[in-house]
Amino acid sequence: MKKAIHYINQFFGQVGGEDAADYKPTFHDKLVGCSNMLNQIMPDVEVTHTIICGDNYIASHTDEAVAEIIEWLKNQEFDIFFAGPAFMAGRYGVGCGTIGKAVKETFGVPVITSMNEENPGVEMFQKEMYIFKGGRKATFMKDDLGKMAAFAQKIAKGEELLPAAVEGYFPRGIRKEIFHPEGIPAADRAVDMLIKKLEGRPFQTELVIPKREKVPVAPPIKDLSKATIALVGSSGVVPSHNPDKIQTASATKWGKYDISGLDRLPKGEYKTIHAGYDPEAICEVPDRGMPVDAMRAYEKEGKIGKLHEYYYVTVGTGTTQAYAAKFGREIAAELKEAGVDGVLLVAT
Amino acid sequence: MKLEMGKFYVKDIVFGDETKFEDGVLTVDKANALEVVREDEHITSADLFIVRPGDKVRLCPVKDAFEFRCKVEGGKGIFPGVTSPLAKAGTGKTHVLSGCSLLVVGEHWGGFQDGLLDMSGKYQNQCIFGMMPNLVLVADTDEEFERYEQQKKNHALRWAGMRLAEHIGLCVKENTPDEEEVFELPPVNRRSAEVQKLPSVVYVLQPQTQMEQLGYNTLIYGWDGNRMLPTFMHPNEIIDGAVVSGSFMPVSSKISTYEWCNHPTIHRLMKEHGKTINFLGVIMSNLNPKMEEKERCAKMVAQMAVNLGADGAIVCEEGYGNPDVDYIQTIVELEEAGVKTVGISDECTGRDGASQPLVALDEKADALVHTGNVSELYHLDPMPVVLGELEALARDGNSGGWEGCIAEDGSVEMENNGYFCSNHISGFSKKTCADF
Repeated sequence: MKKAIHYINQFFGQVGGEDAADYKPTFHDKLVGCSNMLNQIMPDVEVTHTIICGDNYIASHTDEAVAEIIEWLKNQEFDIFFAGPAFMAGRYGVGCGTIGKAVKETFGVPVITSMNEENPGVEMFQKEMYIFKGGRKATFMKDDLGKMAAFAQKIAKGEELLPAAVEGYFPRGIRKEIFHPEGIPAADRAVDMLIKKLEGRPFQTELVIPKREKVPVAPPIKDLSKATIALVGSSGVVPSHNPDKIQTASATKWGKYDISGLDRLPKGEYKTIHAGYDPEAICEVPDRGMPVDAMRAYEKEGKIGKLHEYYYVTVGTGTTQAYAAKFGREIAAELKEAGVDGVLLVAT
Repeated sequence: MKLEMGKFYVKDIVFGDETKFEDGVLTVDKANALEVVREDEHITSADLFIVRPGDKVRLCPVKDAFEFRCKVEGGKGIFPGVTSPLAKAGTGKTHVLSGCSLLVVGEHWGGFQDGLLDMSGKYQNQCIFGMMPNLVLVADTDEEFERYEQQKKNHALRWAGMRLAEHIGLCVKENTPDEEEVFELPPVNRRSAEVQKLPSVVYVLQPQTQMEQLGYNTLIYGWDGNRMLPTFMHPNEIIDGAVVSGSFMPVSSKISTYEWCNHPTIHRLMKEHGKTINFLGVIMSNLNPKMEEKERCAKMVAQMAVNLGADGAIVCEEGYGNPDVDYIQTIVELEEAGVKTVGISDECTGRDGASQPLVALDEKADALVHTGNVSELYHLDPMPVVLGELEALARDGNSGGWEGCIAEDGSVEMENNGYFCSNHISGFSKKTCADF
């Protein structure tokens, strides 16, 4: 009999809804909520504990939440770690992914969760663990738990684990060779595929090459001295209290901050929250990460017409391409609306 | 061009007083066969063995595999321009001892390009030669210049294999085959209206030819493939001995000489000809080390395909890594020229499986068949009998072995890279790759 521990959020842990989202981790040897159902459907795996943690708590106090849970787990015996299912709930998905990744890295056990394909947690964490393809909402609880349980059963019984598409989880970016399920030689697969392609019928390639999104280059600015230029960057330079709670890594949001009337970003009032580099130099002079000072100087010289009244910022480290593209589209729409002519995209 | 292939189905191989084929059994006169091997004074010792599927035998280092054949009509031998006088391949009549092979194994020394093969156990079915009876030539040579080189031409052993394959094949020259198969394709502009209405297809071959020094690359009528530009060939030429495998790339990606003669993708295209496609023929390209050479060949292949009137193409890459650039570039050029293309190759994703499967990627390559993963780690149980020298895998720079990969009990840890022909890019492979 293998042992497992199950992580769920405040809602499924029956603590409360949005009002309880700041709930700190608690550990229960009497199983709570859906942990019972999970335990009942696995003959060879016993769920011994439920961990409950608020979605906001793990999102905004990530280090503390993860440290507390990992410390507690160090005194437990377990072979498999479950989290969720998180359905389409974005913060829950990110929570499951965050703790799942830490558990895998610390204990090296299989981590199994489930999310809907639209859950941002999928793209952020699919390389780290088994994320099964789940339903959109909690009415799919039984189905989603069933898939997680069936896979855990296979692990428990030492059965061969099949490709992601067969098992039903999102691919983890790992490729291996297998015998073709129907034993069809490559020659026949190739000729059959070609005939389908020639006849315009659907066919399935054996290596999907992702499409590259090409962004057309904007026309040049005719007269810079009359142009409004905005500052945009991924340096994580924000007002010191980080009003939008932008994550220190794997960001899922961006912020915009009013700099009208500021000649520079004063030390202490601004800082970087970016966890991907040593913050000391930028916290000392925040303009190093978001050069308001230099742009004001250009403005005074008349090199540019005007510095836009807001700067836009996020954190680049670990941020997925999908989120980066989403931020880009959202920020571009605002800038266009505001009549901004050009952007200085500041690299870090 | 018309080729009649007379097939004699071999169920077993035995040694005897006379080399002959009777009732499905190939009898080999060992002493006589070894004389043919020793015609080359560089062969210093040689012996022959017979291995069958299920035998507890491991072969290492395997150099190449051949089929026993002889020319009956047309042509002057089975490997024109190599061990036979130069003549046109692909016409007349060829007799074939089918269902078995000749494997050539180094008695002591291996190299980067050689392989390991098991006749039983977990990995027997990685390679077609594990699934058929084989005559095994185990020999050593005095080729001192390359004895300690990682990259070996293996000239004496490979040529001995070709001579022996023909010598034994000649025993059925006068016999009546069990079955006769006819391969015929008329000139591309002399085909019936019905056939011309079908989508036209070319098969683009990229044999391994990246060694700048001569003697290591695939040979086409004896000509080193590194020194050629893409050329148009009739499929009959390929399956009738015009192409001889080289001695260069990691062996799981190798198309053995046996497979050039028994090329499943060509066979299937020939079968489809006149039914679903109009098979125009083969564009024999190559693989190159320099970017300009890669581009030149890719563009020439696409030009040739377009002007032959191809609607579709299959591109086959013998190798992986650097030549993925030639492969993807050729697919892209074909697609951009309006030729719908499918690729066949293996892949390399590294020990953790997380690396990019091909060195070059392009979204225009939207129809790919994958035959194996060179990075896959194999754990082989000890085998009671080893033909050759197992240590060659660990000692001589084999692409799938390393110092310490052989345990004291004879069990082996190795990469697919070094398993003889296991990715069968010629089309035999029943493997694919999947996301996990």
